[in-house]
Amino acid sequence: MLESLYNFKKELNKRGIFFCFSGPMSQDLLVEIGDTLKNKMKLEDTSSSTIIKVFSMFVEQTQNIIHYSAEKFSNQPEETTELSSGIIVVGSENDHYFVLCGNMVDNESVNTLREQLTTLQKMNKDELKRYYKEQRRKGTPENSKGAGLGFIELARKAVKPIEFNFQEVDGNVSFFSLKTVI
Amino acid sequence: MDNWKIEATKHTPDVYFDANNNVLELKGESYPENIAEFSAPIFSWLEEYLEQLKDTAFVVNIELTYFNSSSSKMLLDLFDRLEEEVAENGKNITVNWIYDADNDSAEEYGEEFQEDLESLTFNLVQKDE
Repeated sequence: MLESLYNFKKELNKRGIFFCFSGPMSQDLLVEIGDTLKNKMKLEDTSSSTIIKVFSMFVEQTQNIIHYSAEKFSNQPEETTELSSGIIVVGSENDHYFVLCGNMVDNESVNTLREQLTTLQKMNKDELKRYYKEQRRKGTPENSKGAGLGFIELARKAVKPIEFNFQEVDGNVSFFSLKTVI
Repeated sequence: MDNWKIEATKHTPDVYFDANNNVLELKGESYPENIAEFSAPIFSWLEEYLEQLKDTAFVVNIELTYFNSSSSKMLLDLFDRLEEEVAENGKNITVNWIYDADNDSAEEYGEEFQEDLESLTFNLVQKDE
């Protein structure tokens, strides 16, 4: 266990990952981690424009975990406190920052998510802008806890199309992962 | 109406209404987990304010360095509400979208709001260094 932790760190370094979190996520954690990431990038003399874009990716992807992860801890039956679990990773490769997130989703939602993300992958920047404005004009979609704009926002800010993957875990859930490059 | 204020938190902006000058200001960052919870008091204050607003010029200054996608929807709802008041009731309302020169995201989002609004005066104001 102890030795494998060092191997794990080496593996992260090799992939350019300088931040990695796995476990129950909360808005409070998001705020503190976000601050730390901004400070880290400032120390590296990253332009403030890039810092805001990376921070924006981090916020949208982390709030996605908080809102939609199928892996939740709650004090049933009261369900007053609920924590969502997921993985969030930030790193740099080839002079670009990247943000990677992963969480469990119900198998029933895989097809819809795949369709949504494939549509976004195929759009150019102008199409994404138009689509973003259209969706923003519409009311909040059903089942959405935000404005339903998170994925479009990610696609717009990223320098290349969003990459994503689904791995079926069992008959109920799949592991959903998504990568954006800034 | 009286002065009115919501203190900023790390993830919500400062909201301040200056009754002497009829200026409402939103300043800071906006990325709460639940945007409706944050914006509900702003919208209910706004309804009361617009109700009594006559010919006086009302200015809304927005200076947000970062806002998440659900805050962007909230801002559009706010601007739509103000636009309605200008178009239908002839009110004198101006929005100033204030951004730093090195924040191209904020500038771009300002331009996009501007494109979507017709009757409401929506100024893009770049801050001096």
